[in-house]
Amino acid sequence: MTVISDSSLTFSRSELMAVELSKRLRNDDVTVMGTASAIPQIACRLAQLTHAPDLFSIAGGTCSVNPHLAPVVPSCGDYDLLRADTSLSLNDVVLLEGRADVLTVFFAGGLQIDAYGNCNLVAVGDYSHPALRGPGTVGLPFLSRVGRILIYTQSHNARTFVEHVDFLSGPGFLQGPSSWQAAGLPGGGPQLVVTPLCTMGFDPDTLRMRLETVHPGVEVDQVRAATGFELIIPSSIPVTPEPTTEQLSILRKLDTNGLLKGK
Amino acid sequence: MSKVLSLPEAVDRFVPDGVGLVTVGGMHLHNNPMALVREVIRQNRRIKRLLTSPCGALNAELLIAAGLIDEIATSYVGFEHIGLAPCFRRGIESGSLKILECDEAYITHGLYAGAGGLPFVALPKGIEFTDIPKVNRENYSFTTDPFTGEEVPVGAPLKPDVALLHAYQADAQGNAVVAGAHFVDRYMALASKTVLLQVEQLVSTEEISKHPQGTTIPGFLVHAVIEAPGGCYPTASHGAYEFDHQAIVEYLGMAKDDDGAQGYVSQFVTDLSEHEYLEKAAERLEKLRYGSGPLAVALPDRKG
Repeated sequence: MTVISDSSLTFSRSELMAVELSKRLRNDDVTVMGTASAIPQIACRLAQLTHAPDLFSIAGGTCSVNPHLAPVVPSCGDYDLLRADTSLSLNDVVLLEGRADVLTVFFAGGLQIDAYGNCNLVAVGDYSHPALRGPGTVGLPFLSRVGRILIYTQSHNARTFVEHVDFLSGPGFLQGPSSWQAAGLPGGGPQLVVTPLCTMGFDPDTLRMRLETVHPGVEVDQVRAATGFELIIPSSIPVTPEPTTEQLSILRKLDTNGLLKGK
Repeated sequence: MSKVLSLPEAVDRFVPDGVGLVTVGGMHLHNNPMALVREVIRQNRRIKRLLTSPCGALNAELLIAAGLIDEIATSYVGFEHIGLAPCFRRGIESGSLKILECDEAYITHGLYAGAGGLPFVALPKGIEFTDIPKVNRENYSFTTDPFTGEEVPVGAPLKPDVALLHAYQADAQGNAVVAGAHFVDRYMALASKTVLLQVEQLVSTEEISKHPQGTTIPGFLVHAVIEAPGGCYPTASHGAYEFDHQAIVEYLGMAKDDDGAQGYVSQFVTDLSEHEYLEKAAERLEKLRYGSGPLAVALPDRKG
């Protein structure tokens, strides 16, 4: 259990991650999330209840739009998610993903995430004889078309954060600036990576991952050591702001199952 | 004409040993047609190629555990927040299970193409920047867009020989209500040559025709209707019951190695009839039930 505490507040790293994701959402966003998405689901609800009341969020799986259940459930295909404003069919959501101008944010992750934000959910090692076979990519190829990619992962270590993914199943900034420009993709690429240790963005010139903030109690060297590629580290790194009392109170009303507790 | 068959009759008649392409409905831990899957295992029917929805779960994993699948076409097999699928993973890592790597958009659009007799389906650009088309040349290719002259990705149509599906309710002709999320199950029904449908409830045509817009699978696509209350257990049946988290954890515990997985298949599938299996699960299943059935939008009374 990795609970962070200071004099006034106690919160889990998952709660902090949900708050950080939430802050990057805008009032006019239409977000989509996929498998095992308790953290982004809660981030979207938190945004709707604070700074982005008009945001739409789609729970990939059931494809319900603006599910408003509490407690939040861990499976994206849950029947309870259909307690929502409306629902689409999965075919409709996949169609709209192709259009690239309707759905603005996708929450992504991977067994491996590389320096350019490319994700891999397929296989670690040689594809034909993988050391670790992943579950599969599901909708990650959609990353090439979505406005903003927000990446989150519960594992910040050198096995997850690698220089190059062994299998590219979710396109980030590809192999860097020249390949990204040549591709001419409609999507805006990855914007944010949130982990239990820190938040990271991408350097606008090199398109490589760059440390933005370290979570309370985390040292920059700890992040460097847990990252399997050379992370860009600016000279001054602020500490990630702690969730406010209001944010935590909303989170906990939504998450009475405690999905974000103790992680 | 009634299409109602017992579970053993339906599988015996429509799922021949060595069948080509079988697709299993449901997504993640929801609406998996487990009664049909278990019966395919009891009758030891080998499947050359299994196609899942964009997210397969126990529906694919148990057939792999039973050693009945030569090759799987999928974009995901796993147990979401609960864990990876051990037999799927071991099969591919050891080379005993072949895989046709797919993504969600291709499975969805490919079924649409199969349903409509389209020779192929153009896919949104972007997939070519992943490694997926490189490792699955049977389903993905590229062609010139005749309207723009650009090279664009395309997918082959998916035309399953047999679909194993679950619905909440059907009449004897196979007109069916899918409660909750449809996932890609409707397109599986539209694209497949033969459709086997297990249902929580068999009802009269009079009952079904009260809400035609909620009855989204027409009977002319369906070849067999199997009354299988509890037939999705231990996965969820939308509108009826939730998935059994504990039962999935038990499976994952047993399936850590091949012997354990085979032990699970014997203990929970082949050594029992479907009736015996559900009798043993009855107490737990009761606790997972929703308080009321799903809402269907009924037709109004006639004017006057």
